[in-house]
Amino acid sequence: MKAPEQIMRVVVTGPVGAGKTTFIKTISEIESIDTDRRATDEMAHLKPTTTVAMDFGRVTFGPNMALHLYGTPGQERFNFMWDILLRQAHGIVLLAPAHRPKDFFAASRLLRYARQRAPEAPLLIAATHSDLPQAWPIADILPAFGIDASESQIPTLSINATAERDVARTLIALVERYAERSNAKRIAS
Amino acid sequence: MPINYSAIQSALQEFVTSVSNVQGASIMSPDGLAIASSLPAGMEEERVAAMSAAMLALGERIGRELSRGQIERILVEGEKGYAIVSSCTEDAVLIVLTDEKVKLGVINLEVRQLIDRLRPSLTFAKTNVA
Ligand SMILES: Nc1nc2c(ncn2[C@@H]2O[C@H](COP(=O)(O)OP(=O)(O)OP(=O)(O)O)[C@@H](O)[C@H]2O)c(=O)[nH]1
Ligand SMILES: [Mg+2]
Repeated sequence: MKAPEQIMRVVVTGPVGAGKTTFIKTISEIESIDTDRRATDEMAHLKPTTTVAMDFGRVTFGPNMALHLYGTPGQERFNFMWDILLRQAHGIVLLAPAHRPKDFFAASRLLRYARQRAPEAPLLIAATHSDLPQAWPIADILPAFGIDASESQIPTLSINATAERDVARTLIALVERYAERSNAKRIAS
Repeated sequence: MPINYSAIQSALQEFVTSVSNVQGASIMSPDGLAIASSLPAGMEEERVAAMSAAMLALGERIGRELSRGQIERILVEGEKGYAIVSSCTEDAVLIVLTDEKVKLGVINLEVRQLIDRLRPSLTFAKTNVA
């Protein structure tokens, strides 16, 4: 008989255009589900489409674990979706576009929101677009978030969300965090 | 021809006041930005717009995934009435709110007729400036 599969729900969030839909598309084993629509607001010049409900993808992780990846919309007007998705999260990946410092504030707001909605879920920050020349180094991004990098327990990575290797590296780091927490909980109880 | 907001607005208002059991109606872009509305007091246009767009996108996606063919409408049935979301044109989505006593057959027909009336004012002219 096949061992029962453990499912870890990972929520991928971050500001508009951070690369949430791309991140999930890059790694998903099933054809990922997106709900992108043509952008008609001020973001339209940045990219043609924007997520209006959610993204979904799936990755097998070892013999008996599967990651279900849920991408949120980035636009503030869809914050009810952040709420719906974050409440179910076992782990959170916050993406911040390293090449657009203007969006760091929105990213740090989302970080606080995620912390509040899913205080138990391990979280890590991945700076996307790090392949671009104008990308900020991760060490400079955290202070912009109001986070002291030396004290922060939040793992951070610089990634290219279009590269499978980078997305895999991010998810492995998150699963490790998740496993550590579960073990710590088991010992404590 | 730019979108005629006031024509859409008055069409919605007329729909809400003249069709029985209808409590509100709103039009938004498929990416969830409000275009025009006639909504019950206290209901935020921006929020209704974002939620309707999300619901339609998710509903259409579910319809495709589960082989339901062309999606006519997405329906939320509550104790106090219905929320009915339909795609109007490529550039517009419509949500209609009714009380619980509405006859679905009647309202579906009314909504379809409203969409037909609105359609000409709802297609963004693709101005091809060379
Ligand atoms: N070079 C580079 N391009 C990226 C990276 N991540 C995303 N992109 C591109 O950035 C654009 C926006 O990516 P999306 O995945 O749609 O962004 P999103 O976060 O889902 O955006 P919303 O749904 O609107 O909030 C796309 O054209 C991607 O190809 C990256 O790490 N490097
Ligand atoms: Mg997206």
